[in-house]
Amino acid sequence: MEDRPHKAHRSSTKDKGKGKEKQHGFNEKAFAPKSGRRADRQGRRNVERDQTRLHVPLVNRTPDSEPPPVIVAIVGPPGVGKTTLLKSLVRRYTKQTLNEAKGPVTVVSGKKRRLTFIECNNDLNSMIDIGKIADLVLLMIDGSFGFEMETFEFLNVLQSHGFPKVIGILTHLDLIKKAATLKDTKKALKKRFWTEIYQGAKLFYLSGVLNGRYPDTEIMNLSRFVGVMKFRPLVFRNAHPYLLADRIEDLTPREQVRLSKGKCDRTVTVYGFVRGTNLRMGTKVHIPGVGDLDMKSVTILGDPCPLPDADSEKRRKLSEKKKLLIHAPMSDVGGVMYDKDAVWINVPGSFTRGNTDVPQGEGEQMVMDMQDARATLEDGVAQSHIRLLGSSSKHLTVEALDEDESDDGFDDESGEEEGDESGLDSDEDGGEDDEDIVVNPQSTGRSSRRHVERTLPTASTSKGGRADVEYADSDSDLGDEDDEDVLGKRFQMEDGDALDIPSDAEDDLMDDEEEGEEESAPKWKANLAAKAQAASNSKRRKDWTKLIYSTDLTPEEVLSGKEEHPVEAEEMDGDEEDFFRLEPASRREEEEEVDSSKEKWRGEDLKRWEDDEILDSIRGLFITGPAVQEGGEEDDEDTGGDFEDLEAGESSAAPLPSEAESKATSLAAKKEELKRKFDEQYDDPEASKVDFYTEKKEEMSRQLQFNLEAFQDIPAEQRALVEGYRPGTYVRIELVDVPCEMIENFDPTYPIIVGGLLATEERFGYVQVRIKRHRWYVRTLKNNDPLIFSLGWRRFQTVPIYSLDDHSIRMRMLKYTPEHMHCYATFYGPVSLPNTGFCAFNSLSADTPGFRVSATGVVLDIDRSVKIVKKIKLTGIPYKIFKNTAFVRDMFSTALEVAKFEGANIRTVSGIRGQVKKALSKPDGAFRATFEDKVLKSDIIFLRAWYSIQPRKFYNPVTSLLLSDKSQWTGMRLTGQVRRDESIKTPLNVNSTYKRIERPERRFNPLIIPKKLQAQLPYASKPRAMKPQKQQTYMQKRAVVMEPEERKAVALLQQIRALRKDQVAKRKEKKNEKKAEHRKKVEKEEEKKSDKVKERKKEVMRATGKKSKRDAEAEEGRGSKRRKTSS
Amino acid sequence: MSNLVQFSGHQHLRLRLALSILSGKPVRIDKIRSEDKNPGLRDFEISLLRLLEKVTNGTVIEISVTGTAVLLKPGIIAGGPVTHDCPLSRSIGYFLEPVVLLAPFAKKPFQLTLRGITTDEHDLSVDLFRTVTLPHLQLFGISDGLELRIKKRGAPPGGGGEVQFLCPVVKQVKTLNFVDPGKIKRIRGVAHAVRVNPQFSNRMIEAARSVLNRYIPDIYLYSDVYKGDESGKSPGYALSLLAESTTSALHCAEAVSQPGVAPEDIALQASRALLSAIETGGCVDRQHQTLVLLMMALGSEDVGRCRMGEPTPRTIQFLRDVRTFFGTSFKIAAADDKESSHLLYSCYGTGYTNSNRTLA
Repeated sequence: MEDRPHKAHRSSTKDKGKGKEKQHGFNEKAFAPKSGRRADRQGRRNVERDQTRLHVPLVNRTPDSEPPPVIVAIVGPPGVGKTTLLKSLVRRYTKQTLNEAKGPVTVVSGKKRRLTFIECNNDLNSMIDIGKIADLVLLMIDGSFGFEMETFEFLNVLQSHGFPKVIGILTHLDLIKKAATLKDTKKALKKRFWTEIYQGAKLFYLSGVLNGRYPDTEIMNLSRFVGVMKFRPLVFRNAHPYLLADRIEDLTPREQVRLSKGKCDRTVTVYGFVRGTNLRMGTKVHIPGVGDLDMKSVTILGDPCPLPDADSEKRRKLSEKKKLLIHAPMSDVGGVMYDKDAVWINVPGSFTRGNTDVPQGEGEQMVMDMQDARATLEDGVAQSHIRLLGSSSKHLTVEALDEDESDDGFDDESGEEEGDESGLDSDEDGGEDDEDIVVNPQSTGRSSRRHVERTLPTASTSKGGRADVEYADSDSDLGDEDDEDVLGKRFQMEDGDALDIPSDAEDDLMDDEEEGEEESAPKWKANLAAKAQAASNSKRRKDWTKLIYSTDLTPEEVLSGKEEHPVEAEEMDGDEEDFFRLEPASRREEEEEVDSSKEKWRGEDLKRWEDDEILDSIRGLFITGPAVQEGGEEDDEDTGGDFEDLEAGESSAAPLPSEAESKATSLAAKKEELKRKFDEQYDDPEASKVDFYTEKKEEMSRQLQFNLEAFQDIPAEQRALVEGYRPGTYVRIELVDVPCEMIENFDPTYPIIVGGLLATEERFGYVQVRIKRHRWYVRTLKNNDPLIFSLGWRRFQTVPIYSLDDHSIRMRMLKYTPEHMHCYATFYGPVSLPNTGFCAFNSLSADTPGFRVSATGVVLDIDRSVKIVKKIKLTGIPYKIFKNTAFVRDMFSTALEVAKFEGANIRTVSGIRGQVKKALSKPDGAFRATFEDKVLKSDIIFLRAWYSIQPRKFYNPVTSLLLSDKSQWTGMRLTGQVRRDESIKTPLNVNSTYKRIERPERRFNPLIIPKKLQAQLPYASKPRAMKPQKQQTYMQKRAVVMEPEERKAVALLQQIRALRKDQVAKRKEKKNEKKAEHRKKVEKEEEKKSDKVKERKKEVMRATGKKSKRDAEAEEGRGSKRRKTSS
Repeated sequence: MSNLVQFSGHQHLRLRLALSILSGKPVRIDKIRSEDKNPGLRDFEISLLRLLEKVTNGTVIEISVTGTAVLLKPGIIAGGPVTHDCPLSRSIGYFLEPVVLLAPFAKKPFQLTLRGITTDEHDLSVDLFRTVTLPHLQLFGISDGLELRIKKRGAPPGGGGEVQFLCPVVKQVKTLNFVDPGKIKRIRGVAHAVRVNPQFSNRMIEAARSVLNRYIPDIYLYSDVYKGDESGKSPGYALSLLAESTTSALHCAEAVSQPGVAPEDIALQASRALLSAIETGGCVDRQHQTLVLLMMALGSEDVGRCRMGEPTPRTIQFLRDVRTFFGTSFKIAAADDKESSHLLYSCYGTGYTNSNRTLA
């Protein structure tokens, strides 16, 4: 940059113009707080902001050095442009155009990053599975239409399974013509998107399609965002191994398939990058949509889409235009497509051999290489120089397994080609250069027919045989015979330079073994003898790992060396696993006492401690003792010299001067350390202290570094046994007993995910979850109705029982889920770790109206029994009543039942409490009960009890991948659904119907107090019984006679009133008339107005009709119908 | 039951049962003393199975008619308050050892009361459990509320002792990285005597000091005398010693009273055994190898390391069993320095999390 003169010039003018010469860096004054209070506030705010930035430190199990490709899922409703986006992105990264994009497509996007693109179809099952594995979701939204229900469903699924990063992409924006509408739409959609994801979530706009792709600049911008995206580990994925199968292959013998008419269980291999944690043998895997499967073997394959290393970087510079790396076995790339049982090679147009000017795809190259065979296979094998293909780097050999095969076949491969196909230099441009780059994948995982022989055969572990961990770092491997049994003869491609591997100890050993096999093993035997000698000479040089894990020796034999020692040497802890010999009784008696953990010290062992010299010999192990020159132990300088002499004499390992020297250096180191400590404390005692967060982070990174280094020195296959297959390796997993439907109904557009299960997750039990009905799901969830859970890797249907905690005393069953509240649900099914999130559905089919996510929640507890109760009320009636005692019948049917409830609390409806006492003999089931008060005969007596219920043991995995029409999975139907389908009437219990309750009116007799009693009552309490008066009062019966003036006055008043009345009536009449007139007028106006409105409506309808007709015509090309969202 | 694990023989029964319950894989053990005069399971083994049934929920144990075969389908580890009477044929240590492996992974904190013999010559005494085994669990982050209370002591053959074992519940055990054995900095011990002259314990302490005092001044031996009802039904005495290093590695030894042997001789036996244990060295003594190795295998998915001496036959079989149940194998290599015969055991933890634990 600085070389260019014009740049320098510009920068100088800029500096001058702005006048910023003086400002260097941060101007403190400009941001200094004006007051103390403000400074305080600012400080607090900064601290708070720092705290919000912190997250709980999580260990990331994915290695930084060779991470697996990032899974970028493209999700959206149909017709939104997913395939177009996938093609555009692939084009952007690889300069290749995919004809059909099916299954995962892996590309290299940068020096440290690879991407696996996968398109998600509109099936809810696929969306759930993709949501569980995607690292980044490109959520596509039709800008001209808006959000659709699937989008929200998908977001809810994501939320319950750990939220990966989501980038929204608005498409079809070119369909909105008006600029203002476009702006409004963008704004509205963005607002909705932000409320769903988070404020400020990234939303991209793709304007239109050019040449079947989105505009290059927009795609480039998008790819830049994808390229720099950082990912936080998600808890579930950080605890489980998994892989997204990018290829699947059926290995079942054809004959077996034919004999069983294709119905036999299959042996299937799946290929993919290990992700999450280390994948270990011995665990089960779950393929969502298929079920739990056993891994028979796992094989490490070469990376089909390797990250650029220094070498390939150089090559790329040589020819910029060549095809970049892409790995998409299910799609048609380079003319080769891998199906479940075949490899398809497409040849464009007419195909002629030797036509080198046309660039050849990988497939064509393979066919031509096949044709290049000059001799028969048999001849070739006889010569042991046959190559299956011309470009194969290794020839087939008949010999033992090569244990140290590595896939460094990149260079030799091109070398081979040069040798075989004359005149193809690496300088040559065009197709051959392409070949060079693509060769690597070809040589490794991508070729299906060859990989079986060509992969690292020993880097696989199989479950069938005893998985052997063999550490060949010492020569004294006593388990050699064992190895020889394993090493069968088989065809194998031998690497060109496999023989001149650097001869360090282990490789020597490997070579030894190989040669030994070839030369019918005389050398091998000699070696063994020597080894045995070595082993007996120095006990320390035993290869413990090998002895323990890969031999059948009993523990005593392991300890005492190979040869059978008399048993007296060690304690009798024999483990005759497979055979018990009849032994002398004395020995058996001794054997009886073996299962003891206490160390038994023999008399002679302890006797030697009587000797002073022996006693002194361990003085060095105490802090008061002399310094011992051993690693990892600190020296103490305060002891006498005589012990040191003794030590030196005993060990005689190092000459004295060097010892002194080392002492000096150690002393110097110590001093240095002390000085550093002092400096640290003197300078700033606080500086050495780090806060909790950084401390934890450092601890984690240290442990990760340590994990990385711990097993680096042991060979790959042994490493795989100890720590499993690390994330980022490309593996082939052989699965056995796979249902044949998975292969027969294989569809590459449905993702195949292989999720590793933890040991506990293979088991079944009762799972208690905290659940909440989704607020967009319109119906309540009913107890004992089947529900489809997506929990862990699995999708399954089960029958939950809802409950609520009743005052922490009991779990009480609920009939329905509460409205806006969490409740508990308990169901039988595969166990998941507590704190795993899930979502639930009532139906997964696409034709379900409305929102399909019916509930979400989290696992709380797993158990083998449940304690959910429901209330039950037993009722009875008293048939004989004494003072506080009553005889109750109709509550129980036998005396035994009564006996069980003796002492139970009972109650009458009116609230009188009592207790069950004892069964009565006469009416069966009747009992004596006592109450706190006398009960009435009309009282109903009830006993409140709790009846415990068990969830039904129903577990039905959603086997959607096994169906030919994968979206049509149906599980158990609801009872109502079954009745509807079978048109069965709901059985009606007569007692459950609502009827009009006829209650006879209660008549209460008047209270009669005896006269005698009345007399005794105090006056206030005496009943006051007064009879109504029968005679007319004086006021009622007198006659009124008026004076003449009075009469006149009254008559006048009457007349005035009459006049007034008449006046009012007239006025009213007039008013009514006027009102009627006015109404008429108004009516007329209304009529006029409505006419106008009608006219306008007509106009509008005409316009809309035209528009809808246009739309329908346009829709016809676009596809299926959509459901309108409720946003 | 596709994941059934099969074994033969009565050896290593305890550890195999514990591994089965931890891993959740059903186990079938046959040919239990099938060639013996007295075939089948012994009373203490039956009692152990009972105990395991008590501390778990949903465990199914089937014993064949002859008693020579056992099938255990493990449930979940429940924990909580449990009381168990141990038979007098084995001491409490026999029962505590498998329980200690299970206890951290229970649903509820363990409150296990065991009654029986507290100290005998076959198994670790409850003193060593308290002072040595529990600190080993603390290495893995199992510390708060971890306790063994010796309520009563019971010597063989009468027994009558009682201990209470309290163990907290953890989510996951920590990864161990313990490679520096350090140097012995102090020696502690408990001498106890029940239903004998209390002077016996003092005599044992004197005798032990006569051997150990030459090494280190920091020796403290407690004299622990239980009286009356707390002292069990039979007379007996024992000395248990432990040596702690600067990196808190523990080595222990113990000697139990024998008829016709003076307490001084018992003490000498114990202290010499301790010296032997110290000489063997390593970060973990031979009796606790299995415990430490199991916890390492159950750790988080990181590499754990521990430096120990040679494996005992028990340990060797245990390592094989761990691989059968958990699919994890250890890398065992010689320790870096030339002098010692120590081995460095390293393994990649299985990431075992306590799935039994209740959330909220």
